[in-house]
Amino acid sequence: MADPILDIAGLKVAVDGKEILKGVDLRIPQGEVHALMGPNGSGKSTLAYALAGHPRYDVTGGTVTFNGEDLLDMDPDERARAGFFLAMQYPVEVPGVSVLNFLRTSMNATRGEEISPRDFMKAFKENSALLEFDSSFTDRYLNEGFSGGEKKRHEILQMAMLRPKFAVLDETDSGLDVDALKVVSKGVNALRGPDLGCLLITHYTRILRYIAPDVVHVMFEGRIARTGGPELADHLEENGYVEFGASEMASAPGA
Amino acid sequence: MASWVAETRDEAERNLASLPALTGQEEDWRFTKPASLGMDGAPLDAPGPSGSPRVGDEAGRAAWLVLDDGRPAAPNVVDLPDGVIVAELSDALTAHEDLVRAHLNSLVGIDSHAGALNAARWDGGLFVYVPRGVHVERPIEAVLTATGAEGRIYGRTLVVLEEGAKATVIDRYVSPDLGGTVQASTVAELVVAQGAELEHMTSVSWGSGVHHHATIAAAAGRDSKVRSVVVTLGGDVVRVEPTLRVVGPGADARALGLFFASDDQHFEHRVVSVHEAPDSYSNLLYKGALKDTSRTVFYGNLIVPPGAPHTDAYQTNRNLILNDGASAETIPFLEIETAEVKCSHAGAVGRVDDEHLFYLRSRGVPEVEAKQLIVLGFLQEVLEMVALEELREELHEAIAAKLTPKVAAS
Ligand SMILES: Nc1ncnc2c1ncn2[C@@H]1O[C@H](COP(=O)(O)OP(=O)(O)OP(=O)(O)O)[C@@H](O)[C@H]1O
Ligand SMILES: [Mg+2]
Repeated sequence: MADPILDIAGLKVAVDGKEILKGVDLRIPQGEVHALMGPNGSGKSTLAYALAGHPRYDVTGGTVTFNGEDLLDMDPDERARAGFFLAMQYPVEVPGVSVLNFLRTSMNATRGEEISPRDFMKAFKENSALLEFDSSFTDRYLNEGFSGGEKKRHEILQMAMLRPKFAVLDETDSGLDVDALKVVSKGVNALRGPDLGCLLITHYTRILRYIAPDVVHVMFEGRIARTGGPELADHLEENGYVEFGASEMASAPGA
Repeated sequence: MASWVAETRDEAERNLASLPALTGQEEDWRFTKPASLGMDGAPLDAPGPSGSPRVGDEAGRAAWLVLDDGRPAAPNVVDLPDGVIVAELSDALTAHEDLVRAHLNSLVGIDSHAGALNAARWDGGLFVYVPRGVHVERPIEAVLTATGAEGRIYGRTLVVLEEGAKATVIDRYVSPDLGGTVQASTVAELVVAQGAELEHMTSVSWGSGVHHHATIAAAAGRDSKVRSVVVTLGGDVVRVEPTLRVVGPGADARALGLFFASDDQHFEHRVVSVHEAPDSYSNLLYKGALKDTSRTVFYGNLIVPPGAPHTDAYQTNRNLILNDGASAETIPFLEIETAEVKCSHAGAVGRVDDEHLFYLRSRGVPEVEAKQLIVLGFLQEVLEMVALEELREELHEAIAAKLTPKVAAS
């Protein structure tokens, strides 16, 4: 088995003083795609934000080793430069910052050197073709007026441009129509390989049919409650989370 | 000196002496202490020279004029179309007497403290005249410096665009960081005739120590386009008062403002448009960022007197606060005395959104650079209305300089 790109041990995270993650253990070998499923409010996004270093999420215990380094010791921008990427569940709109300027700035920052305008445009053209991202968006401002699906596609475009070592995709499939889902999956699969680890947070097996996971984890009430193979996702789709202690009503997947 | 010039100066000096002293209790002087700007005209000791200011250069300019401490100097005319005049203003009093006499003091009177002070004391300035139908493609720029050799300095600009003429004029104010206080008084009068187009930029880029009172007044003729762009970045205490007089129907007049206050800078912008003709448009749009313990005040007023129907007048001021301790005040005003007008006004003060900052940082962009993107993005709405492309780059640098932590001098 490859060395883990991400090794989470006993991670506890609180938001506004309330403990949400109660000791998460998760190891992801480099090159693997792991799915993370779990009912609403179980702490999936909390894990994603805490890993990315969002200041509102207080790590109260545990360790996270990323590519051999202490991830929790880094600022959010250092984490990105170290190769960590988070495709957000709800990407924010940043007024007045153009898509192109943003992409160039973040590329230069993560690479640690100025990319030439030519190479940049080449990479941009290739990746926007891959993700069928309309090039007329480049003059627009960051996520401003983007539809839900366009925002998600734009997240994966950024991932393709920045070439992270590891990416958390937080419900990238939610709100995507079938065609968009295929395009986004195609994009992720194109990036997939021995140098990319992935944690794919989702409520649905739909995306897992396009992006086949190596391992599936279930999060329940702030802990990893079960880990299994791809068949676990199908099991959850059929049975929901009742066996983990969820009430019948609230346990339908994606409720 | 021609007698009309001497008479105006004498009258202005008399007004200055006879006007009741400003106390700071007056409604329009509540926010910036009149004494800090030397509105009484009392002499002030020079702080002494502190190195040379960054004045830029004439590259890309149609004409270029540097007035050190406001002293008259000859302009450098690089490339001007026939008939266009760019001259030092005191020189133009005689060399172009009729033109200057017709317009000087026409938009800024001598019955206020600021107007009287400047009219009585100015030495050097910029005169621009563009004849009918002539377009000057490149900007004409005047730079007023404060070197520290004078305690009080004055600047004066008169721009006259005849029918259908077009020009871009920059008034730039620069100094090094000074060892003491210099008080600066400037006036710009912009006369824009029918169908003419003027973009006038006021770039307040002083170093520390400078206290500046600036009056800008424009008259927008029928179907003209007037842009007053005020960029306030430098100086300890700066008060800028742009007034747009919309005097012809069909005019499109905009007062655009961009500012970034830091340290304990104090900026006040008092921006007014007066619709003296029907069927015209004005827009006052001021946006700025604040950090450290700086303070800014925006007062805006749209005045539509009786007899100006079909006026469209808009006013917006938005302020972006980067940290606790900085404070912005916004006072949007309306005086509408005509029916059938479309007017709106809005003022807002907001904090930098932590989610914006996190999003950019999560893509590897360091905090300072992320804030720079956010501030520039915030100002983008105003920049979009400015034709002068180089302003973007200039602002980018100025914002970066303000956001980069200062290395303590050892
Ligand atoms: N800023 C916050 N303040 C208070 N509680 C919060 C905050 N953010 C998250 N929580 C709480 O933490 C818990 C976990 O939320 P989280 O967003 O991680 O769930 P999730 O598993 O991603 O759910 P979903 O499937 O709905 O996206 C929820 O109960 C939520 O209300
Ligand atoms: Mg979530």
